[in-house]
Amino acid sequence: MTDDRLIELIEAWGADPDAFPEAERAGAKAVLATRLERFAAALAEARALDAAFARIPEILPSAALTEALIASAPRPKVALGGFRLPKFASWAPASGFAALAAGLFMGVMVAPAASAASDTDEAATVLEHALGFDPAAFTEELDE
Amino acid sequence: MAFTSDLDQITRAAAGDPAAVRGLVNRYSAGVLSLATRMLADRAEAEDVTQETFLRAWKALPGWEPRAKFSTWLHRVALNLCYDRLRKRKESLPGELPDQADTRLAPHDALDQVQRVSAIENAIAALPDRQGAALTLCALQGHSQAEAAEILEISIEALESLLARARRTLRAQLLEGRASA
Repeated sequence: MTDDRLIELIEAWGADPDAFPEAERAGAKAVLATRLERFAAALAEARALDAAFARIPEILPSAALTEALIASAPRPKVALGGFRLPKFASWAPASGFAALAAGLFMGVMVAPAASAASDTDEAATVLEHALGFDPAAFTEELDE
Repeated sequence: MAFTSDLDQITRAAAGDPAAVRGLVNRYSAGVLSLATRMLADRAEAEDVTQETFLRAWKALPGWEPRAKFSTWLHRVALNLCYDRLRKRKESLPGELPDQADTRLAPHDALDQVQRVSAIENAIAALPDRQGAALTLCALQGHSQAEAAEILEISIEALESLLARARRTLRAQLLEGRASA
C-alpha cells in the first residue's frame, strides 16, 4: 500500500478504512497504524464530509405513497375453496350460444315475414278506406 | 409472516399475497424514493418514479429469475427512470443553465443545523448525475461497493473514480463557501 494509494482511498471512500475495498482494507489499516500523522489532513477532510452526510435525514415514503404502491400490486388469485361447479356447467356456455344462434335465426327468418304480413294488412285497410269500402257493412250484408 | 428467502417473498408477491407485497414495499420503497429524490431534487417527481419502479417490479415478478438481487434490480430501474427524466429536462431547456443552489457553508455560529443540511443536500443535487448517484448509493444509503457498482452498471474502479470526484467537488464547494463567508 503506497501513500498515494491510501490518499486515493480516503478521498473516494471516506475516513473509515472499513469502507475501503476489502482487498485493500488490511494494508490500509496497517499503514494508518504506523504513520497516522502523515494522513491526518486527508482523514480530517474526509471525516468532515462523512459527518455532513450522516446529518442528512433519511427520506421516508408517506403513508399515502406506501398504500398506493401496495394498491398497484397484483391482486391475489381468487380461490374457490374446494367448491366444484356441477358437470353440466361445462357445456352451459355452449347451450347459451346455441340459444343465441336460434334466436338470431328466428329473428332473421320470421320477423321479415311477420312484418310483411302486417304491412299487407295495413295497406289493404288504407285502400279500402280510399275506395269508400266499409268492411263492417260488408260483413253485415253477408250475415243477412 | 416470515419468508424463507427473497425468492420466496417475490414468488408470493407475484401471486398477490398481501403480506409479501407489503413486505417488499416496506423494505425497498424508502431506498428507491431516497435515490430518486436525491437524483431529481423534486419530491413529487421522485414519488412518480417510485410508483413507476414498483409497477415495473410487479410486472416483472411472475417471470422473476434471481440473476441479480431484487434490490439491485429495483434500484437500477429507478436510476434509469431518473436518468430519463433528467435527460428530458435538459432537452426541454436547451442552453438554459440550471439554477445554482447555494451550497456555501457559512461559519458554524451563523448557520443552524437545517441550513447546513440543506447546503449539503443542494451540493449533492448539483453534482453530475452519475457522481450524485454513486455518492447517494454508497455514502447515504450504505449499499455495498459491489451492489452500488452493479446498480450503476460499472466496475468498482469506476465507482471509486466517481466517488472521488464527487467528494472532491463537495469538499471544494462546501469549504470554499466556509472560507469566503
